[in-house]
Amino acid sequence: MNQEKIELRVLNPRGEIEAKVASSPSPRIADLSGKRIGLYSNMKQGMDNFYTVFEEIMKKKYPEATAMKVSGAFLIRDEDAEAMAKEADAFVYGVGD
Amino acid sequence: MAGTVKLEKLGLPGVFMNCDTFDDDAGSAAVDNGMPAVRHHKISSAEFYKLRGSVETIRPLVEKIFDELVDAIVTPLTSEETDTSQLPPDTDGLPQLLYIGDSYEEAYENFNQSYLVKQWGDGLPMVAPTPDRIRWMLTGTKRLSQEVLGTINPKNGTATIEKIAINAVMAGARPEYFPVIISVIEALTDNKFDDLHVLASAGSFGLLIVVGGPIGKELNMNSGIGFLGHSNRANNTIGRAVRLATLNIGRTWPAKNDMALIGRLSAHTFFTFAENSDMSPWQPYHASRGFPAEQSCVTVASIHGSGPLQHFYGGMIMTWTADGILDRMVDDLLRSSRRTLREWGQKGMGVVPGSGVGANNHMVILFPELVEEYKKMGYDQTKLQDEIYRRVSVPYEDLTSEEIEAIKTGMELGVVPPERKLVFEKALHPGEKVPLLMMPENIHLFVAGGAPGCAFSFNYYRVPPYTHTAIMTRPITGATLTRAGV
Repeated sequence: MNQEKIELRVLNPRGEIEAKVASSPSPRIADLSGKRIGLYSNMKQGMDNFYTVFEEIMKKKYPEATAMKVSGAFLIRDEDAEAMAKEADAFVYGVGD
Repeated sequence: MAGTVKLEKLGLPGVFMNCDTFDDDAGSAAVDNGMPAVRHHKISSAEFYKLRGSVETIRPLVEKIFDELVDAIVTPLTSEETDTSQLPPDTDGLPQLLYIGDSYEEAYENFNQSYLVKQWGDGLPMVAPTPDRIRWMLTGTKRLSQEVLGTINPKNGTATIEKIAINAVMAGARPEYFPVIISVIEALTDNKFDDLHVLASAGSFGLLIVVGGPIGKELNMNSGIGFLGHSNRANNTIGRAVRLATLNIGRTWPAKNDMALIGRLSAHTFFTFAENSDMSPWQPYHASRGFPAEQSCVTVASIHGSGPLQHFYGGMIMTWTADGILDRMVDDLLRSSRRTLREWGQKGMGVVPGSGVGANNHMVILFPELVEEYKKMGYDQTKLQDEIYRRVSVPYEDLTSEEIEAIKTGMELGVVPPERKLVFEKALHPGEKVPLLMMPENIHLFVAGGAPGCAFSFNYYRVPPYTHTAIMTRPITGATLTRAGV
């Protein structure tokens, strides 16, 4: 005996995300020699230790490279971002998460 | 991730470093911030968190990944990474879905299981959002179903009245509750309200949702004994509708982009209740925010997830006095505010000075029997706020030099709001008392519960990490099924 199937039609609860144009990351630098590398961290503990070692290793491998350590907000403030963009050639961004 | 994208957009090549626990979150945030190909490099959570305590312990990990981080900076971008074509609108599936079963129960179970697998549910069984049920929900408001309220973080999904209605149905809410739910979402979608931190941060933060004015009674909300508990449909489904709407419109999921380490206390309904207007001798809370007392409003506030409430006692076991409860309140605020006083000298976690550090908001909930006693003592809300503010202060001579320096630095950095600078300039002298709260308005007084009298509070940053405020009151409007909130 064929039993009639029950159909349950329901609506999608997800909020639509608008279409947007994807941005591309910036072109990379050729190497670190002679470059200034921004090292950004927020206030979470331990990133300063990480960057201390990072800078030591960088100095050994790329003696001409320098570091620009900046610590600030989770989302880098405009003034810090503009200063880093002006003074550094590349960056590492670590927030301790 | 937003900071990395900001630097990349300024022309600086870089790499975002994240622990593997946050790798899904980082990838998701890259898309949310419009740069899906931004380079992020994961490191071992198990190693990083344990080893970062000192330069020597972290050294082997940095040595291990140094070249990988450099590679991310120097290896040319691929054609895929430089693709800047338009990302299509993301609807996450078809507008309607069909579930079939041999019986109604089977179809219903298929719907529930499927929605949970899609990460569209909260783990409890849901009411099926059928077109008929959505139409029923929409009868509770005059507002048009396609009206857009704004977007919800972290993925900026668009909150329309219809999408909120779908989630409200799934939560088990009734149409007469719907205007309250809409007003809560209006607060969360307001650009000034920091919904990102409360919905996504590792700190397991939560929401306090307080309904004030006559609509609470019309909806039979529990404002008396047990007001934060189970059993009341309005309290629980209003909160659950907000839970599901934020989950589905903002598109959060635990350990994916909702990184709350222990989950969220009251995870399914948040902390949702109505003020007890019948028993309170005071005006409702929203009157202190500039709304007419007779209007119906809802207040939404972020609250800390750890040690979520401080209890100042009262109750039915021990004898108590209103003075004694006030003393305990002041004592608790003195201790907790003193602990974070040195943070006033920090610029903060976000764009607004003082964001996410020091100087909290305190959402204090007082039982009506206690408020009657305060009224006899001559306190209305403003006077009690002022009294608490005045007493949560310490003699200048008792402050350490670091604490004094922190307040002074906070004044320079703008952590102390400009309009409060004069207060602290006058207080920072021998013989004066220095407030540990930024202003009396950081104490928010609500009345709920009944007899016996008691009091407790939640707290949260005065300024949240990502935007301007974490407490907002909205009027309830557009109701069609209640006398209030029209």
